[in-house]
Amino acid sequence: MYRWVDHTSEVELEIEAAGEREVFEEAVRALAELLGAVADATRATFVRRVAVHATDRPALLAAWLEELAFLAEADGFVATHVMELEMDADAVHATVGGVLGAPPPLVKAVTYHRLAFEPSGTEYFARVVLDV
Amino acid sequence: MFDPQRIDDELWELPIGTVPGMRVPARVFADAELLAAIEQDRSLEQLANVATLPGVLDAALAMPDIHQGYGFPVGGVAATDAADGVISPGGVGYDINCGVRLLALPLTYDELLGDRRERLVHQLSRTVPVGTGGRGAQEGLRGANLDRVLALGPRALLEDLGIGSEDELSFTESGGCLEGADPAAVSARARERGASQIGTLGSGNHFLELQRISDVYDEAAAQAFGLRLGQLTVLIHSGSRGLGHQVCTDFVKRMDAQLAHYGIELPDRQLSCAPIESPEGRDYRAAMEAAANFAWANRAAIAHRVRQAIASEFGPGTAERTHQVYDVAHNVAKLERHEGRLVCVHRKGATRAFPPDHPEIPSEYAAAGQPVFIPGSMGTASYVLAGRAAAMTRSFGTTCHGAGRRLSRTAVRKAVDGGELRRRLEADGIVVRAPSARGLAEEAPEAYKDVDRVVEIVERAGLAARVVRLRPVGVVKG
Repeated sequence: MYRWVDHTSEVELEIEAAGEREVFEEAVRALAELLGAVADATRATFVRRVAVHATDRPALLAAWLEELAFLAEADGFVATHVMELEMDADAVHATVGGVLGAPPPLVKAVTYHRLAFEPSGTEYFARVVLDV
Repeated sequence: MFDPQRIDDELWELPIGTVPGMRVPARVFADAELLAAIEQDRSLEQLANVATLPGVLDAALAMPDIHQGYGFPVGGVAATDAADGVISPGGVGYDINCGVRLLALPLTYDELLGDRRERLVHQLSRTVPVGTGGRGAQEGLRGANLDRVLALGPRALLEDLGIGSEDELSFTESGGCLEGADPAAVSARARERGASQIGTLGSGNHFLELQRISDVYDEAAAQAFGLRLGQLTVLIHSGSRGLGHQVCTDFVKRMDAQLAHYGIELPDRQLSCAPIESPEGRDYRAAMEAAANFAWANRAAIAHRVRQAIASEFGPGTAERTHQVYDVAHNVAKLERHEGRLVCVHRKGATRAFPPDHPEIPSEYAAAGQPVFIPGSMGTASYVLAGRAAAMTRSFGTTCHGAGRRLSRTAVRKAVDGGELRRRLEADGIVVRAPSARGLAEEAPEAYKDVDRVVEIVERAGLAARVVRLRPVGVVKG
């Protein structure tokens, strides 16, 4: 589950998910919504490989979103769902499905401000602030 | 949570210990009413966090237009020791060298007869691409050599394309070129994002504004700046576009990964930093300065397009006699000498404001002081200020940069209807061109603090003095 939280500067994404992989999946759905795409796997007709590296889970999530935002800005590709995802301590390798179009280049940057990715009870909680 | 202590009529302090790890106090220039507005968001906490940076000197400072940002507050100033302090990309911000350039036309408002005001604003909107997609992304200046722009700033446009003039370069902060810039330090992704964007305005709070001078406070300084009552001006507010954002993104990540190596602990990862003389610090300065040069070239290219619009309405002679008053950055970090110390002054949403006779301002302005431009909201007013001596002792030669955001974009969209706002502005005699009602609503006057009060505080504090007030008569929103 994700939600967009009002933020004085820009927008803040909060994610609650059952596992670490699901956090990355929810981030894809949230970004697709922000960019105006429908997170529906049946409509996805294009596939991209995404690989990001960072020092820890919060930074990996920021890198993940930054890569997806760049694909939207540079290639018009909006990821709508995760097809495959592998992760280790400092990397995520994934195949994502999505749509091609002219998404609004809303996301100027993915910040580290109040960045979080941590266990919360039996689930995981993550937070990312986007500069839009 | 915080209880700022009053130091004097315009200065408040959060003492060391307000948050763990503070090395110096945090100080805010404000009066009681502005402070109450400032306390509505997390900007004071962010300012106190800035005071934890290694090598930070004297105090983490905030101007009266401070509001919550990412890591650093917008309106924040932090000077770090050049020898053993750090440099922080978050202390500059994503839009490196976001800034403002003021052009003064050889025309008065009274000479805009009939529908010429609307035609001029319309022509400006046709000539200068706005927004982050479509025209705003694709209609950048053709023929510009990106490496030379990154290295030389607007001088590259002058030498290669005949855009601008030596006068314009001399009336630009730092001559429009930070000499430590290294194009090779700018990533391929940053280049890709910025290559087609020279001469484009962008989105968010970026704008072009056609204005008339409604009040003159300092006749001598106004005369030095070539300004007079009733004169038309164009204010350009833009920055380094996607290129600057990517440079910041790249180095926040890179420095964050090295924090443990340098033994740096921070309360917010967006404050990520590295010693100025470390490999990461040197590379960031080289890339940030290249992005700053790119931003000055961007505003120079926009100014060129503004002159084309003026020429199409009033003829080439009017465009040629339109002079550049100055161009100032309000998101940048620079090595400067203050009170005998070489320091790295981070200005994030804050403007350099050097006083009369300072060696780094044009000789023509030596008696007046450095021009500073303070955009208000599109329905209120903007100001031309001049730097004053107290800025050198109180704020590392710095003053405010705008009115300061009061409401979030979401909150203001809930409170203001874009269509209604457009009608209200036009009823007040302001011609509006905006790509979306939503974007227009996000920049409504209600979203900002009172610019008159912000300017009054910096003047009372001796940081800068009012020269003229500018009333908007037309707005092209990014």
